[in-house]
Amino acid sequence: MWKSLFTAVSKAPVLQTTDILNQQLRTTFILRRKTPPLLHKQGRKPKTLRSRHYIYELVKDTDVEKQADIDVILTSYVEGLGNAGDKVSVRPTFAYNKLLLPGLAVYASPENVEKYSNLTNDSEKIRYSSKNAFYTVQTLSQMLLSVVMNKENPWTLKPWHIRVCFRKCGYIVPEDAITLPEKQISGPNMELEDKEFFVTVTINNQEKVNVRCRIHHWSTNITERIPHVHNFWEILSEPVIPEQAPILESMPKKRNVIKKRQASI
Amino acid sequence: MASKSVKALGLARKSLTALETGLATRLPEAYKKFYKEWKLTEPTAVHYIPETGKWKRNDITGEVFPVQNVPLPVIYPPEANNHIWGGDGVIQGFQSRASDVRRVPHFWVPVLKRTVVYSEVLDKYLSVIVTERAISLINSNYGFDHYLLKTPACDLKGLLPLRLKRKILQELQKGCPSYADKPEKQSEVLHRFENYLSAYTAEEIEWYGYSLHEALRILKQRIEEEERSKVVPLKHMYRAQLIEKLKAASLSEMVDNKAEEISSGESGSWLQKINPFGKKRET
Repeated sequence: MWKSLFTAVSKAPVLQTTDILNQQLRTTFILRRKTPPLLHKQGRKPKTLRSRHYIYELVKDTDVEKQADIDVILTSYVEGLGNAGDKVSVRPTFAYNKLLLPGLAVYASPENVEKYSNLTNDSEKIRYSSKNAFYTVQTLSQMLLSVVMNKENPWTLKPWHIRVCFRKCGYIVPEDAITLPEKQISGPNMELEDKEFFVTVTINNQEKVNVRCRIHHWSTNITERIPHVHNFWEILSEPVIPEQAPILESMPKKRNVIKKRQASI
Repeated sequence: MASKSVKALGLARKSLTALETGLATRLPEAYKKFYKEWKLTEPTAVHYIPETGKWKRNDITGEVFPVQNVPLPVIYPPEANNHIWGGDGVIQGFQSRASDVRRVPHFWVPVLKRTVVYSEVLDKYLSVIVTERAISLINSNYGFDHYLLKTPACDLKGLLPLRLKRKILQELQKGCPSYADKPEKQSEVLHRFENYLSAYTAEEIEWYGYSLHEALRILKQRIEEEERSKVVPLKHMYRAQLIEKLKAASLSEMVDNKAEEISSGESGSWLQKINPFGKKRET
């Protein structure tokens, strides 16, 4: 009987309890009374609370709980996150401070999802092949790659030489992504020692970046080796191929050289 | 004769609420509506988890008891009026730390931090002190404006968010003048927030978000102004009358003078009237 009555009562619009729990319950402290107050008459005021009703137990402190990630839609490319129009799930504090307030993203509300759905096809915005592509381009364009070649045996520079040099620096670059200068470079030729040229690396068949390289001759015989030059990257050098000179001029210098220059200024 | 209590006869002295005493009785309905939404509505349970349903059964005895949620008393300090606490408050109570130790007084105070909120309608970044709950409510409502406009006054609590809400509503009423140079954006923002305006009349927006003290001050000012405009000082009246009289007099004088001139044929200068050889005055 009670069950049927309860359902009838709960369906009545007036008696329905408000949907309090629909709202997110996030606060500093959620407490519970250790001694609940006695029941009061219906339609009357609750009984006066005594001291014992003010003894609380902590149910949970939601400030130290981990918050759920929130969805945002990026309005422009964000390094390490994605392109404009991408829906990403990020930590709420990061989203609020670094994306939503600067205007790099909007909330993924139903209307915004609809509004920004055509942003992925927008040709005006710069699009990168992956979320880390821009970062890779930046890093590669500011490096100086030492191309270490043999001092005794004859060689002609091939993409795999560059690949190995990249690997020594910690970059795994596939051979087909490396484009060498059109003019062949061959040695050993001590005139080329410490001279610069650049190779072009293609990332994900889309972004192209020029990487500054410097030839260094190496011998297995210790006595034949060229003596070590301290901070050799700070010493300016000449281009291997004279046609490449203007591009090499315009390319950024090695990263810590730039930093040092800024510090001295 | 059966005796009846004074209360049952309706003769008991009812304690008056803040809106039923003194000048507050003359406040407009618009403000009273806001005040009821703010102070006399039960806010969302923030610091406790309310029990759901109407009845509950004791598992062991099978007895049925009504569910009565008695909310925890929460203190809202004056500082909360200048911050955005999102319904949070200070709880004063006791902790029972061990069974053989006397209860210990304790205050549960929310953690506050300064951050920035962005209002799209006002097109402004505001540096405010908030609680973590306020930020999460802004996030779950998809923005600061939506949070303010959707949330009733009883949950906003502090005067700062209520003031901002009034400002946003007024801005929407005017049609977002902050975007005057970007008509496309202006219409988009208006379209997004317009539906919130339907819940209020113009007068309600005008009176929204004032504390009782502020509202009474405004009312007092208006009453005084009205009375001032009604009662005109007598000196103003008399001055106006005098000026009119003088004007009328000078007009009639001019007419007389002209008539005289025409009749005499020449203008009577005062020099001609003087006779230097006339009878001397006794000194």
